[in-house]
Amino acid sequence: MKIQVPREDLLKQIGYREPPQPKLLKMADEMLGLLRDLLEPRLSFRAIQGDEDLPAFLAGAVLKYVGAATLGPKLESKVKDLFDEGKAAEAYILDTAGSIAVAKAGDILWDSIRQDAATRGFKKGLRRTPGCRGVDLETQRWIFECLADRGLGIMLTESFMMAPRKSLSFLARFGGKLKATFSCKGCPQYSDCTLRSSKGMI
Amino acid sequence: MIKEIYDAVMEGKVDEAASRVQQALDAEAEATDILNKGLIAAMDVVGEKFGEGELFIPQVLWSAKAMQAGMDLLKPLFSSTDRAEKGTVVIGTAKGDIHDIGKNLVAIMLEGSGFKVADLGVDVTPERFIEKAMEVKADIIAMSALLTTTMPSMGEVVRLVKERNLPFRVIIGGAPVDQAFCEEIGADAYGMDAADGLRKVKGMLGR
Repeated sequence: MKIQVPREDLLKQIGYREPPQPKLLKMADEMLGLLRDLLEPRLSFRAIQGDEDLPAFLAGAVLKYVGAATLGPKLESKVKDLFDEGKAAEAYILDTAGSIAVAKAGDILWDSIRQDAATRGFKKGLRRTPGCRGVDLETQRWIFECLADRGLGIMLTESFMMAPRKSLSFLARFGGKLKATFSCKGCPQYSDCTLRSSKGMI
Repeated sequence: MIKEIYDAVMEGKVDEAASRVQQALDAEAEATDILNKGLIAAMDVVGEKFGEGELFIPQVLWSAKAMQAGMDLLKPLFSSTDRAEKGTVVIGTAKGDIHDIGKNLVAIMLEGSGFKVADLGVDVTPERFIEKAMEVKADIIAMSALLTTTMPSMGEVVRLVKERNLPFRVIIGGAPVDQAFCEEIGADAYGMDAADGLRKVKGMLGR
């Protein structure tokens, strides 16, 4: 899996709309180089058979999937080291680059699932991450039980956080009728959603 | 000479900030002038510019580092009764939450602005916040959460502070937190972002 983070994306994420000073451009390039060396991306998904004991988001779907992706532990270890060394700007930039990278890993994972669904005759699907509207964080446990044999190297904390932190997981569904409770429109942060904003939907 | 110190912090020039402070000390400038008119004055403006969207986090971090380099030279000159710090803040990520980048940035900005910071890290229990705040005689407890599921433990800290009649103010922040939640749990302030958090801390302490 090849994940690339363009410098422009990184600068935009940090807030720059105009080219920043050379010192920052140099640091951004250094951190992107470092990121490439630190990435150990892994992803996996699984089609879910049967209709028993499903998370509510998947109920009634014709095709059901769970998926997860991670960038591995080296990145966050390096971010911590940089903070500890007093290189906070470098740590922040590297961490931000990692956030973009894990989102890209999520897109690759989603594309893989959609391709699989397409071979089964489905083009349009929906995905939801635990913690999002209508999907409890506790659903993480179910997802990772489904993916336990995939060797992703993602551990869950007692509060269902993923370690390494630059990891993501989601449920995906194709076909069938979705209950309205999962609509984004009912979310209090609908008009201020960072995810929708990043996708140019706001 | 103070102007050069101010400029070095504004521009985030770490080595220059330290050397200018040393030069000022060698020239027998008042340490309090170097601190207040040079280092802190510059960092205040950096914080304002960040809040207004003129500067971004990396520049703020460089300035904070430059300020810290100057502070390191000044600290030995302040006696224990003549505190260089503006106040003491105990900071950490709420119980159950392991996200720390935002909390780290706030801690660095607080330190860069002259506050003493005790950083408890991530996944901090309410009891631990209280224990540490009592140990360091904190003025403020600052908590961050990235997930709605970890927000309730912030309310528990507020409850403990009030129940035990402790002299700590509580400020909260993080992506899912807002003013309404702050009022709901009875916290003293909500920081919308790092710059706002810093502003609120200063406001609460009148500094």
